[in-house]
Amino acid sequence: MNFSTAAKYATLLSKDYAEDIFALLVNYQAISASEVATRLDLHIKTAQDFLESFAQLDILSKEEILEKKRPYYRYALKQNRILIDIDLMQVRHEPTLNGLSILIREKEDAGARFTTARSDDYITSVTIWSGNGRERKERKIKLTTLQGKFLFHLPFPKAVPLSIAEIIKKADMDESVAPEILDLVQLLEKYEVIEYLPVQ
Amino acid sequence: MSLVRKLKPDRSISGVVIPISMIPIFGIAVLIFGIQAGLYTLAGLMFVFALFYLYGFFRTFNFTQLVISADGAFFGSMLLFFEPNFGTQSVGNLEFRAAYMSGLIFFAVTLVLLAVTKRFKWRGREIFELAGESIDETGNGYTSRPRPVGKVEYSPEQIRSFVRFCGRNMIALPYNSSNNTTLVLVKMGDEFGRLLGFSGDYRDATWVNFDMNGDVSVHISQKDYLDYREPLAFDQLCTSLGQVFVDFLELYNSGEGVRIIDRMNDLNFGIFE
Repeated sequence: MNFSTAAKYATLLSKDYAEDIFALLVNYQAISASEVATRLDLHIKTAQDFLESFAQLDILSKEEILEKKRPYYRYALKQNRILIDIDLMQVRHEPTLNGLSILIREKEDAGARFTTARSDDYITSVTIWSGNGRERKERKIKLTTLQGKFLFHLPFPKAVPLSIAEIIKKADMDESVAPEILDLVQLLEKYEVIEYLPVQ
Repeated sequence: MSLVRKLKPDRSISGVVIPISMIPIFGIAVLIFGIQAGLYTLAGLMFVFALFYLYGFFRTFNFTQLVISADGAFFGSMLLFFEPNFGTQSVGNLEFRAAYMSGLIFFAVTLVLLAVTKRFKWRGREIFELAGESIDETGNGYTSRPRPVGKVEYSPEQIRSFVRFCGRNMIALPYNSSNNTTLVLVKMGDEFGRLLGFSGDYRDATWVNFDMNGDVSVHISQKDYLDYREPLAFDQLCTSLGQVFVDFLELYNSGEGVRIIDRMNDLNFGIFE
């Protein structure tokens, strides 16, 4: 399950009427939105949206009923268990050989402010300004020690660029730190503090 | 042969203005509160001046700072002695004149000699000139980040000893912490702000840092970078500045510390530059 699907489940299940609606769904063979609404004293739109959302998530089945009045849907439980299972490793930035060989350096006139640690050779935070005039905003990014060491060894603007792998080595770090380094590089590239250069 | 320096000419006047400002302060005090208060004010300023240089001595262990401090204390004391007797015969008496003249001659001669031999000259400009000397490439690339410039194979004690040497000879102002020894470059005229802490955090200034593992890193402030005539390639400039200190460290540890002073004197900067 990905994060956005899990977020939908979480949002729906966090409603204070969620348990009551599921109690009806478990105990009734099938139920319509208006029946739920009248039974639980909810607005029909609220009940309709809740049931429809779970139908889209394939937890409920819905059947169109055609009577004399206009057609409506009856909902029934399709599954007896809701399992939210998120593989956290899916968001890991897996370093590829290609990713680590990207040549980078600090961008000229990046306008960022780097704060150096007093005790050791690493950067503790990067402050970035975006926007102009009254819309100008400051964003301070606090770095982990490993990210700080990496940034400390980042080539200067106009200096010979180095690959991410080379900078990691220069900073005397192991390549196992690559995921958090890549995350930082992507972020700083987005804010135009770092520039990517073509591999020669 | 004309020597074209990498640095712009020194047009800073703060080094002169601060001590000279004692004169108008004395004048204003006399005007408002009378001659007695004026003399006390001037004496007070002389003692402040003496205290500043005494502090400078304890920060650097440069003995010329102690001489200047003694000079301030002597003339401050003379003013205090002079004040109650102002307008009386005792000011003009032989003892007072002998004491005053002996002190004046001693301090005048000593200070002139120390100035001419550049013993109380902060060497910041010489260091910047040496760092920029080998760089011909221009292209800016300034960043506020420090730059790691290499590693030296010396023990922490050897590094600390070198740092003390730099302080003693006013090559740079040392700052020590448990893991680092930092040398902050000070130009003539900037010493008041730097020593009194008015120039902000020393980490924002230009410095060369040695950590306990021997790693050397360099930071150049934008103000100092803009002091070069041309926008020198910043990456190379940082490397060069670090290399100047690595060379100095090697010279010092081979017992040739005097050559460091010679290299700086060879640049022929003025005594107040």
